[in-house]
Amino acid sequence: MPLVTGETVKQVMRDLYGYEISEADADAIAHSAGAMLTLAGHLRAIGLAGIEPPFGYPVLLAEAALVVKARS
Amino acid sequence: MSIPFQELLEFDVATLSGKLRARDISPVDLTEAYLSRIEQTDGSLRAYITVTDTLARKGAKKAESELAAGKWRGPFHGVPIALKDLVYTKGLRTTGGSKILADFKPDHDATVWTRLKRAGAVLLGKLNLHEFAYGITSSNPHWGIVRNPYALDRIPGGSSGGAAAAIVARSAAATIGTDTGGSIRIPAALCGCVGLKPTWSRVSRYGVLPLAYTLDHVGPITRTVRDAAMMLQIIAGADRNDSTSSRERVPDFSAGLDGQISRMRIGVIRELNDGLSDDVARSFNAALDTLRSLGATVDHVTIPSLPLTGVMNGIITWAEALEIHEDWMRTRPQDYGDDVRRILEIGMMTTATSYIRAQRARARTLAESIAVLADRDVLVAPASAIVAPKIGATQILEAREDRVDVVAAILRFTQPFNSTGQPAIAIPTGLSPDGLPIAMQVIGRPFGEPEVIRVAAAYERARGALAPPPEIA
Repeated sequence: MPLVTGETVKQVMRDLYGYEISEADADAIAHSAGAMLTLAGHLRAIGLAGIEPPFGYPVLLAEAALVVKARS
Repeated sequence: MSIPFQELLEFDVATLSGKLRARDISPVDLTEAYLSRIEQTDGSLRAYITVTDTLARKGAKKAESELAAGKWRGPFHGVPIALKDLVYTKGLRTTGGSKILADFKPDHDATVWTRLKRAGAVLLGKLNLHEFAYGITSSNPHWGIVRNPYALDRIPGGSSGGAAAAIVARSAAATIGTDTGGSIRIPAALCGCVGLKPTWSRVSRYGVLPLAYTLDHVGPITRTVRDAAMMLQIIAGADRNDSTSSRERVPDFSAGLDGQISRMRIGVIRELNDGLSDDVARSFNAALDTLRSLGATVDHVTIPSLPLTGVMNGIITWAEALEIHEDWMRTRPQDYGDDVRRILEIGMMTTATSYIRAQRARARTLAESIAVLADRDVLVAPASAIVAPKIGATQILEAREDRVDVVAAILRFTQPFNSTGQPAIAIPTGLSPDGLPIAMQVIGRPFGEPEVIRVAAAYERARGALAPPPEIA
Protein backbone atom coordinates (compact mmCIF):
# COMPACT_ATOMS: atom_id res chain seq x y z
CA MET A 1 0.00 0.00 0.00
CA PRO A 2 1.70 3.26 -1.07
CA LEU A 3 1.90 6.03 1.51
CA VAL A 4 1.27 8.62 -1.16
CA THR A 5 -1.05 8.35 -4.17
CA GLY A 6 -1.19 10.34 -7.38
CA GLU A 7 -4.59 11.57 -6.29
CA THR A 8 -3.12 12.99 -3.07
CA VAL A 9 -0.35 14.68 -5.02
CA LYS A 10 -2.81 16.29 -7.43
CA GLN A 11 -4.96 17.53 -4.56
CA VAL A 12 -2.04 19.00 -2.59
CA MET A 13 -0.75 20.80 -5.66
CA ARG A 14 -4.17 22.10 -6.60
CA ASP A 15 -5.19 23.19 -3.08
CA LEU A 16 -1.87 24.40 -1.67
CA TYR A 17 0.02 25.56 -4.76
CA GLY A 18 -2.75 26.40 -7.20
CA TYR A 19 -1.74 24.45 -10.27
CA GLU A 20 -2.59 21.20 -11.99
CA ILE A 21 -0.30 18.44 -13.19
CA SER A 22 -0.95 15.37 -15.29
CA GLU A 23 -1.90 12.05 -13.73
CA ALA A 24 1.31 10.49 -15.00
CA ASP A 25 3.40 13.18 -13.35
CA ALA A 26 1.38 12.90 -10.14
CA ASP A 27 1.90 9.14 -10.08
CA ALA A 28 5.65 9.55 -10.60
CA ILE A 29 5.86 12.06 -7.76
CA ALA A 30 3.79 9.81 -5.51
CA HIS A 31 6.10 6.91 -6.27
CA SER A 32 9.29 8.86 -5.45
CA ALA A 33 7.89 10.49 -2.34
CA GLY A 34 6.29 7.27 -1.09
CA ALA A 35 9.54 5.35 -1.44
CA MET A 36 11.50 7.95 0.50
CA LEU A 37 8.88 8.26 3.24
CA THR A 38 8.88 4.49 3.65
CA LEU A 39 12.65 4.57 4.07
CA ALA A 40 12.33 7.47 6.52
CA GLY A 41 10.20 5.16 8.67
CA HIS A 42 13.16 2.78 8.77
CA LEU A 43 15.34 5.43 10.39
CA ARG A 44 13.84 4.48 13.74
CA ALA A 45 15.57 1.11 13.43
CA ILE A 46 19.07 2.62 13.75
CA GLY A 47 18.32 3.63 17.33
CA LEU A 48 17.15 7.18 17.88
CA ALA A 49 16.06 6.90 21.51
CA GLY A 50 17.25 9.91 23.49
CA ILE A 51 18.44 11.86 20.43
CA GLU A 52 17.06 15.40 20.25
CA PRO A 53 16.64 17.19 16.93
CA PRO A 54 19.70 19.43 16.39
CA PHE A 55 17.97 22.80 16.85
CA GLY A 56 19.63 24.45 19.82
CA TYR A 57 18.35 27.31 21.98
CA PRO A 58 21.61 29.27 21.50
CA VAL A 59 20.81 29.60 17.80
CA LEU A 60 17.27 30.75 18.60
CA LEU A 61 18.64 33.40 20.96
CA ALA A 62 21.25 34.54 18.45
CA GLU A 63 18.68 34.80 15.66
CA ALA A 64 16.43 36.88 17.90
CA ALA A 65 19.37 39.18 18.66
CA LEU A 66 20.02 39.63 14.92
CA VAL A 67 16.37 40.53 14.36
CA VAL A 68 16.51 43.09 17.18
CA LYS A 69 19.74 44.55 15.78
CA ALA A 70 18.27 44.83 12.28
CA ARG A 71 15.25 46.73 13.65
CA SER A 72 17.27 49.22 15.71
CA MET B 1 60.18 41.40 -19.28
CA SER B 2 56.53 40.45 -19.05
CA ILE B 3 55.49 36.80 -18.77
CA PRO B 4 53.29 35.47 -21.61
CA PHE B 5 49.59 35.17 -20.74
CA GLN B 6 49.61 31.40 -21.25
CA GLU B 7 52.39 31.03 -18.69
CA LEU B 8 50.63 33.26 -16.16
CA LEU B 9 47.59 30.99 -16.29
CA GLU B 10 49.64 27.96 -15.28
CA PHE B 11 50.62 29.32 -11.85
CA ASP B 12 48.64 28.12 -8.85
CA VAL B 13 47.63 30.68 -6.21
CA ALA B 14 50.58 29.81 -3.96
CA THR B 15 53.01 30.58 -6.80
CA LEU B 16 51.09 33.63 -7.99
CA SER B 17 51.06 35.03 -4.50
CA GLY B 18 54.85 35.03 -4.21
CA LYS B 19 55.30 36.54 -7.67
CA LEU B 20 52.68 39.23 -7.09
CA ARG B 21 54.18 40.21 -3.77
CA ALA B 22 57.66 40.33 -5.28
CA ARG B 23 56.17 42.34 -8.18
CA ASP B 24 57.50 39.81 -10.69
CA ILE B 25 54.05 39.87 -12.23
CA SER B 26 51.40 42.55 -12.35
CA PRO B 27 47.82 41.99 -11.13
CA VAL B 28 46.70 43.99 -14.18
CA ASP B 29 48.47 41.64 -16.62
CA LEU B 30 47.28 38.63 -14.69
CA THR B 31 43.67 39.78 -14.77
CA GLU B 32 43.90 40.52 -18.50
CA ALA B 33 45.27 37.01 -19.04
CA TYR B 34 42.28 35.50 -17.24
CA LEU B 35 39.73 37.73 -18.98
CA SER B 36 41.25 36.74 -22.30
CA ARG B 37 41.10 33.06 -21.32
CA ILE B 38 37.44 33.38 -20.34
CA GLU B 39 36.71 34.91 -23.73
CA GLN B 40 38.59 32.08 -25.43
CA THR B 41 36.95 29.19 -23.57
CA ASP B 42 33.57 30.20 -22.26
CA GLY B 43 31.70 29.94 -25.53
CA SER B 44 32.28 26.19 -25.19
CA LEU B 45 32.33 25.73 -21.42
CA ARG B 46 29.58 28.11 -20.22
CA ALA B 47 31.31 28.25 -16.85
CA TYR B 48 30.34 31.89 -16.28
CA ILE B 49 26.95 33.55 -16.01
CA THR B 50 28.39 37.05 -15.56
CA VAL B 51 31.91 38.24 -16.33
CA THR B 52 32.69 41.32 -14.23
CA ASP B 53 35.46 42.61 -16.48
CA THR B 54 35.16 46.30 -15.55
CA LEU B 55 35.16 45.50 -11.85
CA ALA B 56 38.04 43.05 -12.30
CA ARG B 57 40.20 45.64 -14.07
CA LYS B 58 39.43 48.18 -11.38
CA GLY B 59 40.31 45.68 -8.64
CA ALA B 60 43.53 44.72 -10.41
CA LYS B 61 44.63 48.35 -10.71
CA LYS B 62 43.92 48.91 -7.04
CA ALA B 63 45.92 45.81 -6.12
CA GLU B 64 48.78 46.95 -8.32
CA SER B 65 49.01 50.35 -6.68
CA GLU B 66 48.78 48.86 -3.19
CA LEU B 67 51.48 46.29 -3.93
CA ALA B 68 53.66 49.02 -5.43
CA ALA B 69 53.24 50.96 -2.19
CA GLY B 70 54.30 47.92 -0.18
CA LYS B 71 50.85 47.24 1.25
CA TRP B 72 50.39 43.48 1.03
CA ARG B 73 46.97 42.17 2.08
CA GLY B 74 47.93 38.49 2.05
CA PRO B 75 48.22 35.57 -0.35
CA PHE B 76 45.11 36.44 -2.39
CA HIS B 77 46.15 40.04 -3.01
CA GLY B 78 45.76 40.59 -6.75
CA VAL B 79 44.64 37.01 -7.42
CA PRO B 80 41.73 36.68 -9.92
CA ILE B 81 38.95 34.52 -8.49
CA ALA B 82 35.31 33.78 -9.27
CA LEU B 83 32.23 33.01 -7.17
CA LYS B 84 29.40 30.56 -7.71
CA ASP B 85 26.46 32.70 -8.74
CA LEU B 86 24.57 32.20 -5.51
CA VAL B 87 27.11 34.13 -3.46
CA TYR B 88 25.73 37.63 -2.95
CA THR B 89 27.70 40.48 -4.49
CA LYS B 90 26.32 43.92 -3.66
CA GLY B 91 24.85 45.62 -6.71
CA LEU B 92 25.96 42.79 -9.01
CA ARG B 93 23.53 40.33 -10.54
CA THR B 94 23.26 37.13 -8.48
CA THR B 95 20.98 34.71 -10.30
CA GLY B 96 21.29 31.44 -8.41
CA GLY B 97 21.39 29.98 -11.91
CA SER B 98 17.68 30.71 -12.20
CA LYS B 99 15.28 32.64 -14.39
CA ILE B 100 13.44 33.73 -11.25
CA LEU B 101 16.43 35.72 -9.96
CA ALA B 102 17.71 36.76 -13.39
CA ASP B 103 17.70 40.45 -12.42
CA PHE B 104 18.36 40.14 -8.69
CA LYS B 105 21.01 42.52 -7.36
CA PRO B 106 21.68 41.98 -3.65
CA ASP B 107 22.01 44.98 -1.34
CA HIS B 108 24.88 43.39 0.56
CA ASP B 109 27.88 41.12 0.04
CA ALA B 110 28.12 37.58 1.34
CA THR B 111 30.62 37.29 4.18
CA VAL B 112 32.86 35.01 2.08
CA TRP B 113 33.12 37.70 -0.60
CA THR B 114 33.60 40.46 2.00
CA ARG B 115 36.56 38.51 3.41
CA LEU B 116 38.09 37.68 0.03
CA LYS B 117 37.67 41.27 -1.14
CA ARG B 118 39.34 42.52 2.03
CA ALA B 119 42.18 40.09 1.29
CA GLY B 120 42.68 41.78 -2.06
CA ALA B 121 41.14 39.15 -4.37
CA VAL B 122 40.03 40.35 -7.81
CA LEU B 123 36.55 39.23 -8.92
CA LEU B 124 36.44 37.89 -12.49
CA GLY B 125 32.78 37.00 -12.39
CA LYS B 126 29.92 34.81 -11.23
CA LEU B 127 29.93 31.14 -12.10
CA ASN B 128 27.26 28.95 -13.64
CA LEU B 129 25.64 26.22 -11.57
CA HIS B 130 22.78 23.78 -11.46
CA GLU B 131 19.63 25.89 -11.10
CA PHE B 132 19.33 26.99 -7.46
CA ALA B 133 22.12 24.48 -6.67
CA TYR B 134 19.46 21.76 -6.68
CA GLY B 135 21.12 19.06 -8.78
CA ILE B 136 24.45 17.60 -9.80
CA THR B 137 24.65 18.02 -13.59
CA SER B 138 24.98 21.81 -14.03
CA SER B 139 22.94 21.41 -17.24
CA ASN B 140 21.30 24.74 -16.69
CA PRO B 141 18.22 25.43 -18.84
CA HIS B 142 18.45 29.20 -18.35
CA TRP B 143 22.16 30.02 -18.54
CA GLY B 144 23.60 27.21 -20.63
CA ILE B 145 24.89 23.70 -20.13
CA VAL B 146 28.24 23.72 -18.31
CA ARG B 147 30.66 21.31 -19.96
CA ASN B 148 33.52 19.24 -18.59
CA PRO B 149 36.91 20.57 -19.75
CA TYR B 150 38.21 16.99 -20.14
CA ALA B 151 35.35 16.05 -22.50
CA LEU B 152 32.89 18.65 -23.71
CA ASP B 153 30.11 16.09 -24.20
CA ARG B 154 30.18 15.22 -20.48
CA ILE B 155 28.83 16.92 -17.38
CA PRO B 156 31.22 18.74 -15.04
CA GLY B 157 29.18 17.60 -12.05
CA GLY B 158 27.35 20.01 -9.82
CA SER B 159 25.95 21.98 -8.51
CA SER B 160 29.17 24.07 -8.56
CA GLY B 161 29.92 22.90 -12.12
CA GLY B 162 31.05 26.30 -13.40
CA ALA B 163 33.49 26.64 -10.51
CA ALA B 164 35.28 23.37 -11.20
CA ALA B 165 35.20 23.82 -14.97
CA ALA B 166 36.76 27.29 -14.63
CA ILE B 167 39.56 25.98 -12.42
CA VAL B 168 40.49 23.17 -14.79
CA ALA B 169 40.12 25.32 -17.92
CA ARG B 170 42.37 27.96 -16.33
CA SER B 171 39.65 30.62 -16.51
CA ALA B 172 39.91 31.40 -12.76
CA ALA B 173 42.79 30.99 -10.31
CA ALA B 174 40.48 29.91 -7.45
CA THR B 175 36.74 29.71 -6.91
CA ILE B 176 34.11 29.46 -4.23
CA GLY B 177 31.44 26.75 -4.32
CA THR B 178 28.73 25.43 -2.03
CA ASP B 179 27.90 21.87 -1.01
CA THR B 180 24.56 20.51 0.26
CA GLY B 181 24.89 16.91 -0.93
CA GLY B 182 28.27 17.02 -2.65
CA SER B 183 28.16 20.15 -4.80
CA ILE B 184 31.78 21.15 -4.12
CA ARG B 185 33.28 17.65 -4.15
CA ILE B 186 31.34 16.17 -7.09
CA PRO B 187 32.38 18.76 -9.69
CA ALA B 188 35.92 18.80 -8.32
CA ALA B 189 36.01 15.00 -8.69
CA LEU B 190 34.51 14.86 -12.17
CA CYS B 191 36.59 17.76 -13.52
CA GLY B 192 39.92 16.83 -11.89
CA CYS B 193 40.59 19.53 -9.31
CA VAL B 194 40.43 19.97 -5.53
CA GLY B 195 37.17 20.68 -3.66
CA LEU B 196 37.15 21.25 0.09
CA LYS B 197 33.91 21.09 2.04
CA PRO B 198 34.78 22.34 5.51
CA THR B 199 33.01 21.33 8.70
CA TRP B 200 29.43 22.66 8.81
CA SER B 201 29.50 26.14 10.39
CA ARG B 202 33.24 26.61 9.80
CA VAL B 203 32.47 29.12 7.02
CA SER B 204 29.70 31.71 7.24
CA ARG B 205 26.64 31.15 5.06
CA TYR B 206 25.56 34.79 5.37
CA GLY B 207 24.63 36.15 1.96
CA VAL B 208 24.72 32.76 0.28
CA LEU B 209 21.43 31.77 -1.33
CA PRO B 210 20.39 28.69 0.65
CA LEU B 211 19.34 25.32 -0.70
CA ALA B 212 18.93 23.57 2.68
CA TYR B 213 19.89 25.59 5.76
CA THR B 214 21.13 22.71 7.90
CA LEU B 215 23.12 20.96 5.19
CA ASP B 216 24.66 23.86 3.21
CA HIS B 217 28.42 24.36 3.33
CA VAL B 218 30.60 26.99 1.62
CA GLY B 219 34.15 26.18 0.53
CA PRO B 220 36.97 26.47 -2.01
CA ILE B 221 37.41 24.74 -5.36
CA THR B 222 41.02 25.08 -6.45
CA ARG B 223 43.89 23.55 -8.41
CA THR B 224 45.81 22.28 -5.41
CA VAL B 225 45.33 21.33 -1.79
CA ARG B 226 47.62 24.22 -0.81
CA ASP B 227 45.41 26.72 -2.61
CA ALA B 228 42.32 25.27 -0.90
CA ALA B 229 43.98 25.59 2.52
CA MET B 230 44.98 29.18 1.80
CA MET B 231 41.51 30.13 0.62
CA LEU B 232 39.84 28.45 3.60
CA GLN B 233 42.12 30.46 5.89
CA ILE B 234 40.57 33.65 4.58
CA ILE B 235 36.91 32.64 4.64
CA ALA B 236 36.78 30.54 7.84
CA GLY B 237 35.72 31.78 11.25
CA ALA B 238 32.84 33.18 13.26
CA ASP B 239 30.59 35.76 11.64
CA ARG B 240 28.22 37.89 13.68
CA ASN B 241 25.81 37.89 10.72
CA ASP B 242 25.50 34.09 10.77
CA SER B 243 24.32 32.85 14.15
CA THR B 244 25.19 29.28 13.18
CA SER B 245 28.80 30.06 12.29
CA SER B 246 31.21 28.34 14.66
CA ARG B 247 33.29 30.11 17.30
CA GLU B 248 35.76 27.23 17.18
CA ARG B 249 39.35 28.45 16.93
CA VAL B 250 40.55 28.76 13.33
CA PRO B 251 43.86 26.90 13.07
CA ASP B 252 46.62 27.47 10.52
CA PHE B 253 45.30 25.28 7.71
CA SER B 254 48.63 25.42 5.86
CA ALA B 255 50.70 24.24 8.82
CA GLY B 256 50.61 20.56 7.88
CA LEU B 257 50.87 20.96 4.11
CA ASP B 258 54.45 19.77 3.94
CA GLY B 259 54.12 17.24 6.74
CA GLN B 260 54.65 13.50 6.53
CA ILE B 261 51.86 11.01 7.13
CA SER B 262 54.04 8.10 8.18
CA ARG B 263 52.41 7.73 11.57
CA MET B 264 48.89 8.47 10.48
CA ARG B 265 46.04 5.97 10.60
CA ILE B 266 43.55 5.96 7.77
CA GLY B 267 40.22 4.10 7.68
CA VAL B 268 38.60 2.97 4.43
CA ILE B 269 34.81 3.16 4.76
CA ARG B 270 33.41 -0.27 3.85
CA GLU B 271 29.93 1.08 3.05
CA LEU B 272 31.43 3.28 0.33
CA ASN B 273 33.80 0.72 -1.14
CA ASP B 274 31.38 -1.21 -3.35
CA GLY B 275 29.46 -0.67 -6.56
CA LEU B 276 32.44 1.12 -8.09
CA SER B 277 33.15 1.06 -11.81
CA ASP B 278 36.29 -0.91 -12.62
CA ASP B 279 38.24 2.24 -13.45
CA VAL B 280 37.27 3.93 -10.18
CA ALA B 281 38.04 0.79 -8.14
CA ARG B 282 41.48 0.49 -9.74
CA SER B 283 42.29 4.15 -9.15
CA PHE B 284 41.05 4.10 -5.54
CA ASN B 285 43.05 0.98 -4.72
CA ALA B 286 46.15 2.52 -6.27
CA ALA B 287 45.59 5.61 -4.11
CA LEU B 288 45.40 3.42 -1.00
CA ASP B 289 48.69 1.80 -2.03
CA THR B 290 50.20 5.27 -2.35
CA LEU B 291 49.02 6.19 1.15
CA ARG B 292 50.56 2.96 2.48
CA SER B 293 53.79 3.69 0.62
CA LEU B 294 53.92 7.02 2.46
CA GLY B 295 53.91 5.08 5.70
CA ALA B 296 50.27 5.46 6.72
CA THR B 297 48.43 2.55 8.30
CA VAL B 298 45.34 1.76 6.26
CA ASP B 299 42.51 -0.45 7.52
CA HIS B 300 38.79 -0.88 6.93
CA VAL B 301 36.06 0.59 9.12
CA THR B 302 32.32 0.30 9.18
CA ILE B 303 29.70 3.02 9.76
CA PRO B 304 26.51 0.94 9.81
CA SER B 305 23.93 3.71 9.45
CA LEU B 306 25.81 5.47 6.64
CA PRO B 307 23.69 3.95 3.83
CA LEU B 308 20.64 5.68 5.33
CA THR B 309 22.18 9.15 5.06
CA GLY B 310 20.69 9.34 1.57
CA VAL B 311 17.26 9.28 3.20
CA MET B 312 18.29 11.82 5.82
CA ASN B 313 19.74 14.21 3.25
CA GLY B 314 16.86 13.67 0.84
CA ILE B 315 14.07 14.36 3.32
CA ILE B 316 15.83 17.33 4.91
CA THR B 317 16.67 18.92 1.56
CA TRP B 318 13.15 18.37 0.21
CA ALA B 319 11.60 20.09 3.22
CA GLU B 320 14.05 22.96 3.66
CA ALA B 321 14.33 23.73 -0.06
CA LEU B 322 10.56 23.80 -0.47
CA GLU B 323 10.23 26.17 2.48
CA ILE B 324 12.65 28.52 0.68
CA HIS B 325 10.93 28.16 -2.71
CA GLU B 326 7.30 27.92 -1.57
CA ASP B 327 6.17 31.37 -2.68
CA TRP B 328 7.79 31.02 -6.10
CA MET B 329 6.30 27.54 -6.52
CA ARG B 330 2.90 29.11 -5.96
CA THR B 331 3.41 32.08 -8.24
CA ARG B 332 6.02 31.11 -10.84
CA PRO B 333 6.26 27.31 -11.14
CA GLN B 334 6.63 27.61 -14.92
CA ASP B 335 9.87 29.56 -14.46
CA TYR B 336 11.76 26.60 -13.00
CA GLY B 337 13.58 24.04 -15.13
CA ASP B 338 11.73 20.72 -15.33
CA ASP B 339 14.07 18.77 -13.04
CA VAL B 340 14.20 21.34 -10.25
CA ARG B 341 10.44 21.93 -10.33
CA ARG B 342 9.88 18.18 -10.15
CA ILE B 343 12.06 17.69 -7.08
CA LEU B 344 10.40 20.65 -5.36
CA GLU B 345 7.04 19.03 -6.14
CA ILE B 346 8.22 15.78 -4.59
CA GLY B 347 9.16 17.82 -1.53
CA MET B 348 5.53 18.87 -1.14
CA MET B 349 4.83 15.34 0.05
CA THR B 350 7.40 15.43 2.86
CA THR B 351 5.87 14.95 6.28
CA ALA B 352 6.91 16.92 9.35
CA THR B 353 7.53 13.68 11.25
CA SER B 354 9.91 12.35 8.61
CA TYR B 355 11.81 15.66 8.64
CA ILE B 356 12.29 15.64 12.41
CA ARG B 357 13.27 11.98 12.37
CA ALA B 358 15.82 12.60 9.61
CA GLN B 359 17.33 15.44 11.64
CA ARG B 360 17.58 13.25 14.73
CA ALA B 361 19.13 10.38 12.77
CA ARG B 362 22.09 12.54 11.72
CA ALA B 363 23.50 12.33 15.24
CA ARG B 364 23.54 8.53 15.06
CA THR B 365 25.67 8.46 11.91
CA LEU B 366 27.95 11.20 13.23
CA ALA B 367 28.43 9.25 16.46
CA GLU B 368 29.39 6.13 14.52
CA SER B 369 31.81 8.12 12.40
CA ILE B 370 33.42 9.81 15.41
CA ALA B 371 33.75 6.40 17.06
CA VAL B 372 35.80 4.97 14.20
CA LEU B 373 37.89 8.15 14.17
CA ALA B 374 38.76 7.68 17.84
CA ASP B 375 41.80 5.65 16.82
CA ARG B 376 42.23 6.90 13.27
CA ASP B 377 43.22 10.30 11.91
CA VAL B 378 41.07 10.41 8.79
CA LEU B 379 38.75 8.27 6.68
CA VAL B 380 38.89 7.81 2.92
CA ALA B 381 36.36 6.84 0.25
CA PRO B 382 35.91 7.27 -3.48
CA ALA B 383 34.28 10.56 -4.47
CA SER B 384 32.00 8.90 -7.03
CA ALA B 385 31.36 5.38 -8.35
CA ILE B 386 31.71 6.55 -11.93
CA VAL B 387 33.54 9.05 -14.13
CA ALA B 388 31.69 12.05 -15.58
CA PRO B 389 28.67 10.77 -17.51
CA LYS B 390 27.58 12.15 -20.86
CA ILE B 391 25.31 15.20 -20.78
CA GLY B 392 21.70 14.06 -20.61
CA ALA B 393 22.48 10.52 -19.40
CA THR B 394 20.28 9.37 -16.52
CA GLN B 395 21.61 5.81 -16.44
CA ILE B 396 24.88 4.31 -17.60
CA LEU B 397 25.80 0.77 -18.46
CA GLU B 398 28.75 -0.46 -16.48
CA ALA B 399 31.14 -3.18 -17.58
CA ARG B 400 29.31 -5.73 -15.44
CA GLU B 401 26.16 -5.06 -17.45
CA ASP B 402 24.51 -3.33 -14.50
CA ARG B 403 22.44 -0.28 -15.25
CA VAL B 404 23.49 2.38 -12.78
CA ASP B 405 21.45 5.47 -11.90
CA VAL B 406 23.79 8.40 -12.47
CA VAL B 407 22.63 10.55 -9.56
CA ALA B 408 22.68 7.67 -7.08
CA ALA B 409 26.11 6.51 -8.27
CA ILE B 410 27.54 9.90 -7.43
CA LEU B 411 25.57 11.33 -4.49
CA ARG B 412 25.88 8.17 -2.42
CA PHE B 413 29.55 8.94 -1.79
CA THR B 414 29.33 12.59 -0.87
CA GLN B 415 26.05 13.23 0.95
CA PRO B 416 26.90 11.22 4.10
CA PHE B 417 29.27 14.03 5.11
CA ASN B 418 26.64 16.68 4.63
CA SER B 419 24.47 14.78 7.07
CA THR B 420 27.33 14.48 9.54
CA GLY B 421 28.82 17.92 8.74
CA GLN B 422 32.35 16.49 8.78
CA PRO B 423 35.10 18.10 6.68
CA ALA B 424 35.80 16.30 3.42
CA ILE B 425 38.07 17.05 0.51
CA ALA B 426 37.89 15.64 -3.02
CA ILE B 427 41.25 15.11 -4.66
CA PRO B 428 42.01 13.58 -8.07
CA THR B 429 43.58 10.12 -8.07
CA GLY B 430 44.18 9.97 -11.81
CA LEU B 431 42.52 9.67 -15.18
CA SER B 432 40.54 6.75 -16.61
CA PRO B 433 41.76 5.06 -19.81
CA ASP B 434 39.31 7.41 -21.60
CA GLY B 435 41.10 10.38 -20.07
CA LEU B 436 38.42 11.31 -17.53
CA PRO B 437 39.23 12.38 -13.95
CA ILE B 438 38.72 10.07 -10.96
CA ALA B 439 38.92 11.21 -7.33
CA MET B 440 38.82 10.14 -3.71
CA GLN B 441 37.65 11.89 -0.58
CA VAL B 442 39.56 12.38 2.65
CA ILE B 443 37.19 12.88 5.58
CA GLY B 444 38.04 14.14 9.05
CA ARG B 445 36.65 14.67 12.51
CA PRO B 446 34.46 17.73 12.98
CA PHE B 447 36.83 20.73 12.76
CA GLY B 448 39.60 18.33 11.71
CA GLU B 449 40.43 20.17 8.48
CA PRO B 450 44.17 20.25 9.33
CA GLU B 451 44.42 16.43 9.26
CA VAL B 452 42.35 16.24 6.07
CA ILE B 453 44.58 18.81 4.39
CA ARG B 454 47.76 17.14 5.60
CA VAL B 455 46.81 13.73 4.18
CA ALA B 456 45.46 15.17 0.92
CA ALA B 457 48.60 17.28 0.41
CA ALA B 458 50.92 14.33 1.05
CA TYR B 459 48.94 12.22 -1.40
CA GLU B 460 48.93 15.02 -3.98
CA ARG B 461 52.74 15.31 -3.80
CA ALA B 462 53.16 11.58 -4.23
CA ARG B 463 50.65 11.39 -7.07
CA GLY B 464 52.32 14.06 -9.17
CA ALA B 465 50.68 16.23 -11.81
CA LEU B 466 47.57 15.14 -13.69
CA ALA B 467 47.67 15.25 -17.48
CA PRO B 468 45.92 18.49 -18.50
CA PRO B 469 42.64 18.49 -20.43
CA PRO B 470 42.66 18.87 -24.21
CA GLU B 471 42.87 22.45 -25.48
CA ILE B 472 39.46 24.13 -25.45
CA ALA B 473 38.57 26.15 -28.51
